[in-house]
Order: sequence, then structure tokens, then C-alpha cells
Amino acid sequence: MNAGMIQSVRTLLSLKPKQKLTAQYLFSLLIAVTLAFLVGAGIMLLCGYDPVACYAALFKGALGKPRAFGNTLAKTVTLCLTGLSMSLAAKAGIFNVGGEGQLYLGGLAAAVVGARMNGSPAWLIVICSLLAAMAAGGAYAWLPGVLKVKLKVNEVVTTILLNSAAIYFCSYMANGPLQTAERGIESGTDAIASAAWFTPLVRLSNLTTGVFYAAVITLLVWYVMSRSTVGFEMKMTGTNERFARYGGIRADSLALWGMVLSGMICGIVGLLEVFGLHHRFITTISSEFYFDGMLVAMIMRYQPLGVILMSFFFAILNIGSSAMELSAGISSEVMLIVQSVIIFFMAAEGGISDEVRQKAAARRVRRAARKAAKEAGV
Amino acid sequence: MSDIFNILLLQNTLRTATPVVLCALGCLMTDQVGIMNIGVDGMMLMGAFFAVLGSYLFSSWLMGLVFAVVLGILLGLFYYVFSIRFKSDEFIIGVALNILAGGLTVFLLRTLFGVKGSFSGPGIVPLPTLTLPGIRDIPVLGPILSGNTLLVYVSWLLVLLCWLFLYKTPIGFHLRASGEAPEALRASGKSPERMKRLASVLCGILATVSGAHLSLGYLTMFSENMSASRGYVAVACVIFGGGNPPRVFLAALMFGFIDALGMRLQKYISSDLTSMAPYVVTVVMMVAVVLLRRRKQAARERLSA
Repeated sequence: MNAGMIQSVRTLLSLKPKQKLTAQYLFSLLIAVTLAFLVGAGIMLLCGYDPVACYAALFKGALGKPRAFGNTLAKTVTLCLTGLSMSLAAKAGIFNVGGEGQLYLGGLAAAVVGARMNGSPAWLIVICSLLAAMAAGGAYAWLPGVLKVKLKVNEVVTTILLNSAAIYFCSYMANGPLQTAERGIESGTDAIASAAWFTPLVRLSNLTTGVFYAAVITLLVWYVMSRSTVGFEMKMTGTNERFARYGGIRADSLALWGMVLSGMICGIVGLLEVFGLHHRFITTISSEFYFDGMLVAMIMRYQPLGVILMSFFFAILNIGSSAMELSAGISSEVMLIVQSVIIFFMAAEGGISDEVRQKAAARRVRRAARKAAKEAGV
Repeated sequence: MSDIFNILLLQNTLRTATPVVLCALGCLMTDQVGIMNIGVDGMMLMGAFFAVLGSYLFSSWLMGLVFAVVLGILLGLFYYVFSIRFKSDEFIIGVALNILAGGLTVFLLRTLFGVKGSFSGPGIVPLPTLTLPGIRDIPVLGPILSGNTLLVYVSWLLVLLCWLFLYKTPIGFHLRASGEAPEALRASGKSPERMKRLASVLCGILATVSGAHLSLGYLTMFSENMSASRGYVAVACVIFGGGNPPRVFLAALMFGFIDALGMRLQKYISSDLTSMAPYVVTVVMMVAVVLLRRRKQAARERLSA
């Protein structure tokens, strides 16, 4: 058999429906989460903290007060949008790891347009900023997308490198040409008109009317991914590119569009941060929000509904961890470790459960053999 | 102009390129068995932390290196078990490893040293610098080649050793075969899994040692997220190099040159723009290499037609 033949057989074998969220997968998820929490508890014990008190502080800090709950919901929105953005691209067969950069550029574009249009009606400002943010995020995703599709340049590496480039670029703009003249703002652009600000839904929390925009986008993405023809084509391409190509699906343009749409969503996340929270672009607009969302998407195997639910869980961990640090005293990074443990186990879920099953089968065979031998002996 | 383009620029190029060189050699090992390990960035970060820890606890740079190497072996095995034995997505494992590294180092920094942001102090013993007596006095090259920290020389040696290992030894041949034709290797009675484990461990060691250079050679401190995506740059260097250690070395030097040049240009241009340059240049280089390869291939096809 030649190499090409082996390759195509292997691609056919990879057709098995590993992408679905089966009951077994969800059960594994439960085990993984429990194990990860145990690992976290072990670390806490090692450092001399009481795990029960720490975890109680975590959940109370995320869900206890209306304000905290609002923050958790706001975080859910961010994770959900970034997670869906990742899922959209991944389902189309391309990895967008550059969401962080797209988010920064989208935020910058939204802030600049929003500030320039001072005096226009609020709805016009929001629409124009939205278009600007989508254009900026989309264009910055298009670049690595086109490099991948036309030249086969690895998109994982280019998008990661472009992240750093975009963040430094935005930092340069906010500290240089676009820096505001306002006092007390160290590195930020001019403020947008206050009429266009998204107002908080829960007092003093980060949850603003931006959540409605997010809900519309989430619904749209869910519809595109699971109910439309494009979604079906994406699924086909993501699962088996050769097969999809054979079936007349243009995988290249699909991947490119998946990437651009993914970038647009990231741009909108940047806009939500600007209009909802900071009311201008600042250089610390995101602290790796996209990477958090990406992990949620990976754990839930890029299924929209799963991503939405899992975002809430990760938001609790995220918001709760800082409350835990304040009241229990343990460094909030312990929750990052817990999260990465969940990911390790879920990524290896197939392999681990296969191994467990094989071991169990081997044990059964051995036991049967022993039994047979004993009977034969008698 | 003379305060930018001078001997010091070349010296800095070597210094900044070294972590990337070491890390890229590690990536090269896994690349040869058919795995793109983007977790090297996290391995580098953890290596940087544990090297500082070892050096601080035992007041000895050697213990710092030992800590880094032991950690590298463990991380390599960990990576092998999760991404190869359990057949999971190597990309997800890599990203998770990077997140673990970010969380773990910051957590340990706060818990063990009680500081936020960065840890430095007289307790950390840096790697020694070597002055090469004969070479030091050569007019132009002397100051560049002599007086670097230990791992700079080690990295040059390793470029050669990696090339010898991969292309001139039987194990290296088997290692490459486990990526290119695992069935053939298995048929000849060797285990491709074993070779992959070896590559993964070698990659872990090289990546953590590159981190040790970052925190004990290049600087004498540990700061949060100090790897600054250098691991990804190393992955990009391996893509340029195409499996050839000397070429990977050249790509890493190129990155080091841009980085060093940027640092010296900070007097004239915003530091944000100069920090941006290495990443942009790396992407442009990746594209250029692909275009060049294509042209070469097209020319070859025209010749054969």
C-alpha cells in the first residue's frame, strides 16, 4: 500500500462520530470536573488552606450577591461569545487562536468610531461602531485565513504571533497617535459619547444592556451552526475535508468564511467591553478572554449549546476565584490549574476510556481463562 | 547610526536568540516524529521558574539547571502520555499546557516567594559567563564570541549535536522514521511509540533549559509570563527550517537580530512598535519561505516536464 492510500484509509477511519456530546462524554466530564476539584483541594491542603472554606468562598463570591451574580453573567457572555467564535472556525476546519488580537483591534476600532461620532444619535453610533468592530476583527482574521487557504501557512502559529502584534499595535495607538487629552487616563483613547454607553442591568455590576446584543449573536451563531446548510457544510468539512470536497463542498472558502466570521465575533466582544465597561479603548481591555473561551469551546467539542452552558460554569470559577483570593487568602491562580486539569482529562477522554475498557476486557478474559482452567483441572 | 549598528547589536542578537534556538531544537525533535508541540511555550515558562527556584534554594546555578532538566523530563513524559498514548488532540494539550504554566508559575510565585509580578534578588545565582582566552583577543569577532553565558555556547554545540543525532546515528534515523513511516519502523521490529517518547522527553528538556537561560542567563529574575510567546516563535523557526537544525538556528538568529535591533531602536521609536516587529517579521518570513518553496517546486516541475 502506498502512503497516499494509507492516508486516505486513515481519514476514512477518522470519520467515526467523535464530535458529538454523548452521554458517556458528559459522564466523563463530570468525573473530570470532580477530579480537577480534588486536585485543587490537594493543592489548597498542601499550602495550608481549608479546601471546603475556599470552595465555599468561590461559589459564594460568584453567586452570592446580585452584583456578583451580574458579574458572573457578564463573564458568561464574554466566554460564550469567544467560545462560539472558536467553535465556528473549528467547525469550518480552521483554528482561530488569534481571537485576542481580533478582540483588541475590534475594541480599538469601535472606540475610535464611537468617539469621532460624538453628537450623533446613540443608535447610529452603536451601529457604526458595530460595523467598524466587525470589519477590524474580520479583516485581521481574514489575513491568517487566506494565508492558510492559499499558501498552507499554519494558521495556529500565525494567529498566535498576530495576537502579540495586534496587542502591541493597539498599545502603541492608545499611548501615541490616539491618546486622549483627558487627564488621569494614562493609556486610552477618547471617551465615546455617554448617550451610547450600554447601561448596567444590575447596579454596580458589569452586566449591561450589551447582553442583548450578545444574545442575538449567540442565537444567530447557533442557528448558522446547527440549523443551516452552511452549518452542515461546515460540519462536513470539519469532520472530513476530503469527503466534503468529494461531495462538492468548497472547503477552502468555507474555512476562510469561518475564520472571518470568527474574527467578527471577537471584534464585537471588544466592542462590548468598550461600550459596556471602559467607555473608551484602554490597553488592558482584555486579559486573555479569548483563551478562556477557546478552552470552553474545546472542552465542549465545539457544540454551541454545550459552549453556552459550560461558559456559565467557567464564569463561576473565574469570578469566584478572585473573591476566594480576597476572603480565603489563597492565590486565585489555583483555579487556572484546576481548569487546565479539566482540559487535560477531557482532551484525553477518548484515550483514557479506551484504555480503561481494554484493561477491563483483559481482566475479564483472564478471569474466564482461570475459571476454565480450574474446571478443567477438576 | 553607529550607536545602533555596532558590535553590541550582534552580541545582543546572540543573547536574545539563544532561548529561541534551544526551544526550537526541542520543537524540531517532536516535529521529526510528526507532532507539532505548541506546549513548548509553557514548558519554557515553567523551566524559567524552576531554574530560578533551584538556583535560589541551593545558591547554585548548577542546581537551577538540574531543576530545569528534571522538570523537562517530567513534562516530556507528561506530554507523551497525554498527547500520544491517549491519542488526544496535540493542539489542545499544548494550549492546556501553556495555561497550566501561566497559572502554576504565578501561583507558586505568590505562594513560595510571596511576591506578585516578578521575583529577583541576590539569592539567585546566574549562569556563569565564559571568556575564551584565545578568542577574546581577535579584533572584531572576539567580543562577540567570547564572554557569553554558558548556555549560549551549549546551544551552538547542541545545533551540531542535534544534526549529528538526527542524521548520523541509528537512533536518530529510527526517530525520524517513526514520524515518516511508523508502519515500516514497526515492521523492522522497533517501536515507534518509544521513539516518540524519546522525542517528547528531549523536547521537554530543551524547552525547559531554554527557560533556564531566560531566567538565569539572559536575565537574573523570574517574571510572570516571561516567555512572551517565544515558544511560538520557536515553532515558527522549525517551520522555516524544515527539519534541518542549522537552518532552524539561522531562523532563530534572525528573530534574535530583529529583537535586539528593536531594543536598540527604542530611543527613536515607540517601544510598542519595536516589540511588535519580531512577531510581524516572523509571520512575513513564514509566508516568504512558503512562497520560495513553491517557486522552487514549480521550477523543478517545469524541468521534469
